[in-house]
Amino acid sequence: MATDLQNTWHPIAASTDLVKRHVYQAQLLGREYAVWRADDGYVNIWENRCLHRGVRLSIGINDGRELKCQYHGWRYANRTAGCTYIPAHPADAPARTICNNTYPVAEASGLVWCGEHATGDLPDMSGFESVTALRGLPVNAPRDMVIEALGAYAFADGCSAQTDEHGVVTVTAADGQAVRFFVQPSDSNLSVIRGVLNQALDGAERIAALRHHNFLLDVLRSQVEARAAELETPEPMTPPIAKVSADLAEIPPEQEGGRTAELRVQVVDKTVTAEGIVSLRLEAIKGQLPTFQPGAHIDVHLQNGMVRQYSLTNGPGETDHYTIGVKREPDSRGGSVAIHDSLAVGDVLAVSAPHNNFPLRRDALHTVFVAGGIGVTPLLAMARALNSQGLSFEFHYFVQSHAHAAFRREMGEFGDALTLHKGLSPEDTGAKLRDILASPGHARHLYICGPGPMLEATRGIAADLGWSDEAVHFEYFKNTKEVDDTNSFQIELARSALSLNVPAGKTILEVLRENGINMESSCEQGACGTCRVGVIEGEVIHQDVYLNDAEKSAGKSIMTCVSRAASDRLILDI
Amino acid sequence: MSSPKCKDPIALNLWYAIAPLEEVLDGKVERSILLEQPIAFTREPSGQIAVWSHDGDGARPVGASLPVQERYGYFWTTLGTPDADIFAIPEYDEPDRRNIHAASFGVNASAPRLVENFLDMGHFPYVHTDILGAEPHTEVKEYFVERSDERDEILATNCKFWQPMASRASSGGADVDYIYRVPHPYCSVLYKSAAIDPARMDAIAIFIQPITQESVRVHMMLSLLDDTSTDLDIRLFQQTIFGQDKPILENQYPKRLPLDPRAETPIRADKSAIVYRRWLSDKGITYGVIPAAA
Amino acid sequence: MIKLYDYELSGNCYKLRLLMSFLGLEYQTEAIDFYPGNQHKSDAFRRINPLGQLPVIDDDGLVLRDAQAILIYLASKYDPNGKWYPRDDAALLGQMAQWMAFADGITATSSAARLHDGLFYSSIDIDAARAGAHRLFRILDEHLFFAEEAGQDWICPGDHPTVADIACFPYVILSEEGGISRMTYPAIRRWCDRFKRIPGFIVMSGVFPAGPGFTDAAGVAA
Repeated sequence: MATDLQNTWHPIAASTDLVKRHVYQAQLLGREYAVWRADDGYVNIWENRCLHRGVRLSIGINDGRELKCQYHGWRYANRTAGCTYIPAHPADAPARTICNNTYPVAEASGLVWCGEHATGDLPDMSGFESVTALRGLPVNAPRDMVIEALGAYAFADGCSAQTDEHGVVTVTAADGQAVRFFVQPSDSNLSVIRGVLNQALDGAERIAALRHHNFLLDVLRSQVEARAAELETPEPMTPPIAKVSADLAEIPPEQEGGRTAELRVQVVDKTVTAEGIVSLRLEAIKGQLPTFQPGAHIDVHLQNGMVRQYSLTNGPGETDHYTIGVKREPDSRGGSVAIHDSLAVGDVLAVSAPHNNFPLRRDALHTVFVAGGIGVTPLLAMARALNSQGLSFEFHYFVQSHAHAAFRREMGEFGDALTLHKGLSPEDTGAKLRDILASPGHARHLYICGPGPMLEATRGIAADLGWSDEAVHFEYFKNTKEVDDTNSFQIELARSALSLNVPAGKTILEVLRENGINMESSCEQGACGTCRVGVIEGEVIHQDVYLNDAEKSAGKSIMTCVSRAASDRLILDI
Repeated sequence: MSSPKCKDPIALNLWYAIAPLEEVLDGKVERSILLEQPIAFTREPSGQIAVWSHDGDGARPVGASLPVQERYGYFWTTLGTPDADIFAIPEYDEPDRRNIHAASFGVNASAPRLVENFLDMGHFPYVHTDILGAEPHTEVKEYFVERSDERDEILATNCKFWQPMASRASSGGADVDYIYRVPHPYCSVLYKSAAIDPARMDAIAIFIQPITQESVRVHMMLSLLDDTSTDLDIRLFQQTIFGQDKPILENQYPKRLPLDPRAETPIRADKSAIVYRRWLSDKGITYGVIPAAA
Repeated sequence: MIKLYDYELSGNCYKLRLLMSFLGLEYQTEAIDFYPGNQHKSDAFRRINPLGQLPVIDDDGLVLRDAQAILIYLASKYDPNGKWYPRDDAALLGQMAQWMAFADGITATSSAARLHDGLFYSSIDIDAARAGAHRLFRILDEHLFFAEEAGQDWICPGDHPTVADIACFPYVILSEEGGISRMTYPAIRRWCDRFKRIPGFIVMSGVFPAGPGFTDAAGVAA
């Protein structure tokens, strides 16, 4: 019986129990759940246990987009339950695989349904097409005893009850009014009676009916509980505690996987958001999209075989789709032109899961964003995250003209924090940046994304004005430097004790892959940071634009897709 | 004494603080529980403290007493035969310190969950908001953890955390230094920059008396360099802090600390907790934990 | 100025701190060593309150004991809008008195269980205290469910919380410290969230704040 119960759907709440910005606490077959409705209406059913230190998530905070654990402030995304932020390590992007345990959810007939391993259809509700859900009534008694008692339930003249093989009790009165009861097996000695009437009532009629049944069920409860109290109380159920994935048990998590495109998404909307810029809304063909964090990008594999990186612009909790912005760049290798000219709503694309090599710290007292042109996209997602948490920031968006400003609707929520700088010459832009960056200070952070020259200029001005390398974060779209691959050298892999030769004309990344080492990568031009590897010994010729100057001179890591050894050999931490 | 309910020989052979000395009164018999074993204690006319186990009626069997030591303002006892003395807290004997019993609280949680929470800094901004931490200053910076097999204890050093009111002298926030020790499976001592003398540190200890695997009494002792606060201020401050941890501890599931590395998700900030869990595993402790499957 | 004889971990003292915070009242506190010092049972304190209980206030010479009584006094004297203790509606006065008495029942059960588990009040019958609290919570949950159905957010009718909500809140929200789960009281859990979002709400040790409430595009709370 217990196995059957795990495979079937049970109501665990009334729809009206799940008000916004609330976390409801439920239990089914001994396992506790934290249940919360996001502002977009989606109902999340998660195990009631933060996977970090086991604290009940039902004491956490539903901010409408994410659930925040009360103990260490870890944030988990609507739908995916993936962790989006770990405040103890504000400079890191959490491993994408940190994810709370989620359970099947359905909302129908005024009730919210769940089952540990529920598949298949919800119970047949013919005759109950329009319903009123009764107040759920908890009973300190085993489910079978409650079902048996409901067989004698009478709420009007001429009631007759029928109990089906699943324990669903339908009581019909002579006049056709009917109530159907599902008994939620919370634990071995705790059940909840959840009934629905076969008509949708409102106003005084609704309240009268709810009170009438509540009173009758309360009487029934007293009788059942008195009977249950005479029996020996059964031991509470002990549902098994699932383990976290092996890669999360050790720190730091291992990096795995090459340049993959494991997701299939459909273009469901393509809108011109500014002159020369389209926004694409991508939804999963099947299942759920993986968790993203602000600053993350995806690899988009285009129909013409090209692979391009685009930042996600989504705000927190927008987990049912990814939105990217694409600028038409006629002079480039053709990726953006293909998207602008050939890609249509309904088309299917292969994309990678989000990589986040541009993580957002949320421990700044104040954050300054400087966006140029299409560089606005990752910063938009970041600012939306800060805005949602009520953290202090200012957003400077440099564009050619008003018509070139993308995602204006999304930025509307920034209010006075947004300043649009239109049509400035390079000199005026420099002067403006000097104003904006005039006061570096304790716990102020700067994020820059835009065209190469502007990015270089902003970094230069920031350094001039006293911003430290640690406080300045940037992301290049692409690496415009000439990459020199003419030397050859040895690499030694510290963890696998392999020694390999990197010849002229080949990258470290290519040599590693040829030797069966599964390396993750994305842009493969030294811009995105995905293929970063630790350096234990040896000198590096850095040819990337990902690392900042301090990181480059420290020589502790290398972008294996473009950078090379200055010495005869490099010892890498892989 | 019939055979003990607690089957963990390591736990049985440890010393436990049971009550502050000032609460052991002449001729008055008080009852308590240690590792599910009912015990009782009193102060005899000679001034000595006597402790014994009983079957629930409090009656003192003739001639059967448990060992007693007085240390750090409490009396300690054991149900077994400890092979080590009670761990040292040298600061306690420094003449210019004030040693204060803050309170003993009952908590419906396991002893190791309390120790782990005591070692944890990441929760300061969220649980001790505006006292020991405040958003957005949430970072747990790198620190060192070592396990001394010689002294059989865990030591976490170079710990720093941003505190909004770092000292009475400054109105603003600043990093405060911490050192943590775990010298006993169910006891821990933290050291924290002292307000009046930056070169020395205040000490705060928790001595946990397991009642059952999932409920405890925690005794809190402070050894401070402080010549301005009253004892009452200090006690109430510590009670406020612990009162904030309590709902977290009582809402952790499972209540017993899981020692399987794959039971929960550690991060770098949890280094000391990871070492603590391994230390308990290596010792073979089973009381208050869920041992890792062999 | 109002002086509150206070103990941080006391839910009854918290009731007064809550109301004074909601009203924006300035006050001073005198900390009482309730535990482990038992100062409220001392001869000196019995001169202030012969019952040897907290809280007590001294407002310019007027010494008052009993949390519910003090709530009525403070709301009557210091709430310029008369929202927390409206006195012009006989039915409402009766309802507030009824739920204030109910709050005493919550104290006698839920608070007792908390003292037993947390501070070793061994003379308390813990099973009876927990069963008693559950009996009251069932009644309160049902009441709040039907209040929500009638479009009411608070324990007593009207669009503003009253002293009855303040009187009931602390030992409801602290019940888990006495081993009393609120899982089966969803309407109580929602009311606790609403209560925590009242402007001026403050926490005490053992109580977490709520996140921001939901407002729709027009800025209206839902």
